[in-house]
Amino acid sequence: MNEVCFKNLDQENPWSLATYEANGGYSVWKKILKGEFTPEQIIAELKTSGLRGRGGAGFPTGLKWSFMPRNADMQKYVVCNSDEGEPGTCKDRDILRYNPHSVIEGMAIGGFVMNATVGYNYIRGEFMEPFYRFEDALKEAYDAGLLGENIDGSSVSFDLYSHLGAGAYICGEETALLESLEGKKGQPRFKPPFPANIGLYGKPTTINNTESFASVPDILAQGGQWFADIGVENSGGCKLFSVTGHVNQPANFEVPMGIPFKDLLEMAGGIREGRKLKAVIPGGSSTPVLTAEAAMAMTMDYDGIEKAGSMLGAGSVIIMDDSTCMVAALTRLAHFYYDESCGQCTPCREGTGWLYRVLKRIMDGNGKANDIDLLLGVQDNILGNTICALGDAAAMPVESFLRNFREEFEYYIEHGKSMVENNG
Amino acid sequence: MVEIEIDGNIVKANPGEMLIAVTDRESISVPRFCYHKKLSIAANCRMCLVDVEGAPKAQPACSTPIAEGMKIHTRNEKAKASQKAVMEFLLINHPLDCPICDQGGECELQDVAMEYGSDVSRFSEGKRIVGDSDIGALIQTDMTRCIHCTRCIRFGTEVAGIMEMGATGRGEDLKIEPFLTEGIQSELSGNMIDVCPVGALTSKPFRYELRTWQMNAVSNVARHDLVGSNIYTQTYKGKVKRIVARDNESVNETWISDRDRFSYEGLSHENRLLTPQIKVAGKWQEAEWNVALDFAIRGLANNVFNSHQSDQLGALASNTASLEEFHLLQKILREVGSENIDHRLNVKDHNNTISLESNIKLSGLEGIDHALIIGSNLRLEQPMINHRLRKATLAGATVDVVNVMAFDFNYRLNSENIVAPNQTAATLAGVLKSILQSNHKEIPDYLNEVEISDTAAQLADQLLQSENSVIVLGEHLINNPQASSVANLVSEIANQTNSTTLNVTATGNSMAANLAGFVPGKGGLDVNAMLDADLKAYILLDVYPHYDFHNSIKAIDALNSNDTFVISLNSFKDEAVSEYSDVMLPIASFYETPSSHVNVEGAVQSYSAAVSAPSDAKPAWKVLKVLADLLELPGFHYSNCAQVTSEVSHQRQKQRVNEESVDLTVKRGINVIWQKSPYAIDALLRHSASLQDTKIGQLNNASMNKATAKKLELEKGDEYLGIPVIVNDTVANNCVFVNANHSTQIGGHL
Amino acid sequence: MISDQAKKQIEAWVAKYPKGQQSSAVMEALKIVQAENDNMLTSETIQAVADYLDMPGIAADEVATFYENYNHKPVGKYTIRFCHNISCMLNGADDLIVHLENKLGVKTGEVTPNGLINVKKVECLGACVGAPMFQIGDQYYENLTADKIDEIVDGLQ
Ligand SMILES: Cc1cc2nc3c(=O)[nH]c(=O)nc-3n(C[C@H](O)[C@H](O)[C@H](O)COP(=O)(O)O)c2cc1C
Ligand code: SF4
Ligand code: FES
Repeated sequence: MNEVCFKNLDQENPWSLATYEANGGYSVWKKILKGEFTPEQIIAELKTSGLRGRGGAGFPTGLKWSFMPRNADMQKYVVCNSDEGEPGTCKDRDILRYNPHSVIEGMAIGGFVMNATVGYNYIRGEFMEPFYRFEDALKEAYDAGLLGENIDGSSVSFDLYSHLGAGAYICGEETALLESLEGKKGQPRFKPPFPANIGLYGKPTTINNTESFASVPDILAQGGQWFADIGVENSGGCKLFSVTGHVNQPANFEVPMGIPFKDLLEMAGGIREGRKLKAVIPGGSSTPVLTAEAAMAMTMDYDGIEKAGSMLGAGSVIIMDDSTCMVAALTRLAHFYYDESCGQCTPCREGTGWLYRVLKRIMDGNGKANDIDLLLGVQDNILGNTICALGDAAAMPVESFLRNFREEFEYYIEHGKSMVENNG
Repeated sequence: MVEIEIDGNIVKANPGEMLIAVTDRESISVPRFCYHKKLSIAANCRMCLVDVEGAPKAQPACSTPIAEGMKIHTRNEKAKASQKAVMEFLLINHPLDCPICDQGGECELQDVAMEYGSDVSRFSEGKRIVGDSDIGALIQTDMTRCIHCTRCIRFGTEVAGIMEMGATGRGEDLKIEPFLTEGIQSELSGNMIDVCPVGALTSKPFRYELRTWQMNAVSNVARHDLVGSNIYTQTYKGKVKRIVARDNESVNETWISDRDRFSYEGLSHENRLLTPQIKVAGKWQEAEWNVALDFAIRGLANNVFNSHQSDQLGALASNTASLEEFHLLQKILREVGSENIDHRLNVKDHNNTISLESNIKLSGLEGIDHALIIGSNLRLEQPMINHRLRKATLAGATVDVVNVMAFDFNYRLNSENIVAPNQTAATLAGVLKSILQSNHKEIPDYLNEVEISDTAAQLADQLLQSENSVIVLGEHLINNPQASSVANLVSEIANQTNSTTLNVTATGNSMAANLAGFVPGKGGLDVNAMLDADLKAYILLDVYPHYDFHNSIKAIDALNSNDTFVISLNSFKDEAVSEYSDVMLPIASFYETPSSHVNVEGAVQSYSAAVSAPSDAKPAWKVLKVLADLLELPGFHYSNCAQVTSEVSHQRQKQRVNEESVDLTVKRGINVIWQKSPYAIDALLRHSASLQDTKIGQLNNASMNKATAKKLELEKGDEYLGIPVIVNDTVANNCVFVNANHSTQIGGHL
Repeated sequence: MISDQAKKQIEAWVAKYPKGQQSSAVMEALKIVQAENDNMLTSETIQAVADYLDMPGIAADEVATFYENYNHKPVGKYTIRFCHNISCMLNGADDLIVHLENKLGVKTGEVTPNGLINVKKVECLGACVGAPMFQIGDQYYENLTADKIDEIVDGLQ
């Protein structure tokens, strides 16, 4: 446990440069500065490691980095996505608070590999404590001569800045994030073109999640194979899981990919006294909800969770025990997507509000017999028809809640109240 | 070219072009709202979703680039399902108030809904209602109907060049609106009405008037500038109800200026001159046409012909007349033996005129890499020409400006040089000298004394560096004390740098006047000379002295002279006209007569009347023809206007080359540049209430810098010749720039 | 309208972005200007920021109305931003919000009569392992209980 992003967690001042370096930090970066690592080698190691993007989509990081036109004669950028806003997700905040140098080193390495001399870390606006930590770490790194122009006499240059958001979940979507970084409202761009060709300020750009970047230095220090071996096939390495909800000790756990869900649940202190597990959202609010049975049989890796009927997402495991009213839970999620839709594309702008209103109506005791079909129809009409994946994210919970817990919805519509007694 | 398959048919397409461009070309209908061929792609409405084989999700045709071998289904089950889904979402918050909506009958949403909408709404929640704010005199908003396609926003940022509309808020609360409530300012704003697919943005003057299907549409050409934008004049029961743009890539593309769109309002103004009138013993009487014409002929006979003094007859016309009208009037004059013919009413000194040929096509303007603009607030003078230049700048062209003050350009300028009019010639002489030096050419004597300022050197460098530059001479040149020198210098600079030139110093249909030879011939008098010579008779074609003459006071005095017989053909009543005229003949205005416009390229665009003139008013070409017949002149056997057109349109336009040498002496004193508001350049515009109600229509100020204001003992809030003073430190020293509607007060002060 | 102090802060942000991309600093500039104007933005202050960064007023307005951290109506000296999203909800956030409302005597969205505090329900703040939680100013308060809330609120002045 806690072998990569969290490996200095139990040490004094884990966030300091001294602690980071004492644990082998910046060794890879220094090798690069000495010319002992080539971009091709790094990409090969990353491919071997099986590292997949930790921001939710799980795209192989090595492959992504290889898409950048590194020899194109223009400015290129690396951008870190620390906008963490998916309900249930709170791992990047801890990486920034406790191990900011791993993000800096990971981004610097990315900059080197992709020949991008400037990086931005987009930190969500509310994360002020992490922001200050990160800024302090940046200062340490600059003072130590680890960043800047022609660093330490090498021909490698890398400047890194942080940028703050101002409250919009959609800015976690990578192209919305770029718009926001450019000083606009965060409305996703349609793709193609992809950011690797036309990204920040119209220049080639690669965007990765905080945890993805933070994992890179250790992978390169210890070898891609080492990392791959920690995990299971198709899901290399370890991963941070944020276990929250109805557990005794909610926390972030960095564990090998592929561990059984029930072990993870145990680590989090198990279900509250006298309660039974009812449902699990395994990857953040956008991923389909699972029944207790499906969850208990699942392993925590990309394929394992998919087999159980959901997605690993950002590794945000939301635990619900039998006191949970699933109608209320879904209504809350629907409200979230309704609130956070950017509004530019029709199905999401109009559909998220529709879903929320129907659910709210049911909650208010005014449900109609055909509301379940209506909800299923509307979510299906959003699904796949939007510019970005927020539309899908809003649709999928609706489908899975209704599929797995339909009787609760029917009961609520019929009786005007929840099937779950003294829920909460 | 690659081959793709659409709905089972093999189609050729260019790799990388968007699918919707191919389906449009092949006339395969794909529904869309946000896509507009002249705007950037937004892909936000999602209406154009089609099934691309191999893609798990339906793909938007507007933003899916073509690749070899693609197989596309635009109307299979998957495509239809996506399109229907989007249609339902668009309609749930739409008021569906088609019966009372101005867009009814020409609404893209309504059209598509007929095909894709399901009739039973599953949406039983309350519909969104969006408040409206007043965004000015031209555009009516009803934002509850808005479908957030963002065409209007993109039009503003991409075409008009000012971001006026925006999308505020987010999610369901996303609202398309301008910031602050100053109203929309762009001179092209009306195009937002055309691009809006629904009834959210409609024409304010046209509001609640009619349905499109009730109207006839006539293809016309607008006459307010040197472009001749193509339009449809929509009419109902003999009245012009609305004007919309008509596509013509080589002229106005898809856009028209607000001036061209809304001027029609003036047609029904109560000030129209509706009946012929004659002045008997100092009193006006209405008269039948034949009586009035007889009266006119008798007046001419008494004052001119009976005494064989044809050279005592003069003809003046404003720049609004049609090619045919210019032609017929000059032909009458020349047949009776007078060369006193002129349309350059606002020129101060006819020894100092601008003879510079334009030799670039409108579409060519997009391809230039550099422009030097001299003496022009181009955006307001020639909106569509400015638009082409703006496109060039977006593609990387640079623009230098030499102006009396800073104006609001809607593109980035490479340099903005503030130069007093009396130093423009000297500056350009420096430019020419610098160019000659660089080209190792001999320096002519008249440039010996000239010093090359930094400004001049920079302007010269830019012209030398560019491969495809244009030099634009603007309206302000008319007031320049050395206009002809400036024009000669520009012509030489263009020669030396292989630049093209664009002369927009005179606007409206002035090119038609040139083509028709509506200028004095050998022995003839120009307008100022005529007024000085106290001629015995005039025929005036749509002249409004307060607005049209350089020195209105002098003009009115001269025309009022006791023994001068004045025949006025006017479309609007005018006090000064009725004072000095002896006969007033009501004529058709724009769109009421077949006519031709000649644009800056020399293209003659002819069109027929959209409506007939009100009451007794008659097309001027007919009036002139009858007048010629009554004078028993040969060669006027026209049975229709087109015969006149073909007689004149083959003429080759001749520029009178000014032989004068270049004058570089700096004339001392305060320089006044006076420019009419762009919505006051002709009588029709001046009678369009909505245009007058806009910010541009209300331009009325005299700008000067602090030092000049001090010298004139003026400050902000004071009046300069009756016009409110603005202290603006971008104005060149010792200069006053007046932007106002008419010249009366300025009178002889220029 | 924008103090020299604020301009200095804005400039520090502008310096992070390439030349000509100063509008990248608009989000921070709006926050800085909001902070020195009663925690609230008006059309005038938005326009002032736009002018300062040389961007169209409407573009700044789009930003100011898109993001959640800008206020367009009067707020208290302290805004308590209470997360009510799923993890916090599962851990009793709804009851605690009612508790807080009762304690302050105002509903969410309202400002206490002394102008000190207003409560706002917000979406996930990314601290779900510490649910239930809220934010005041730069600071997060986690693992809230009714007692803990009382203590925190009593400490505000
Ligand atoms: C609505 C939405 C919200 C997202 N939020 C985040 C986020 O907060 N953090 C993140 O890293 N990725 C987020 N993503 C995923 C990003 O778009 C992107 O895939 C990711 O940052 C890529 O980094 P990775 O390859 O390292 O995972 C979001 C995606 C969507 C559609
Ligand atoms: S899916 Fe929603 S959030 Fe994404 S672009 Fe469309 S409207 Fe915006
Ligand atoms: S026309 Fe393609 S998404 Fe609107």
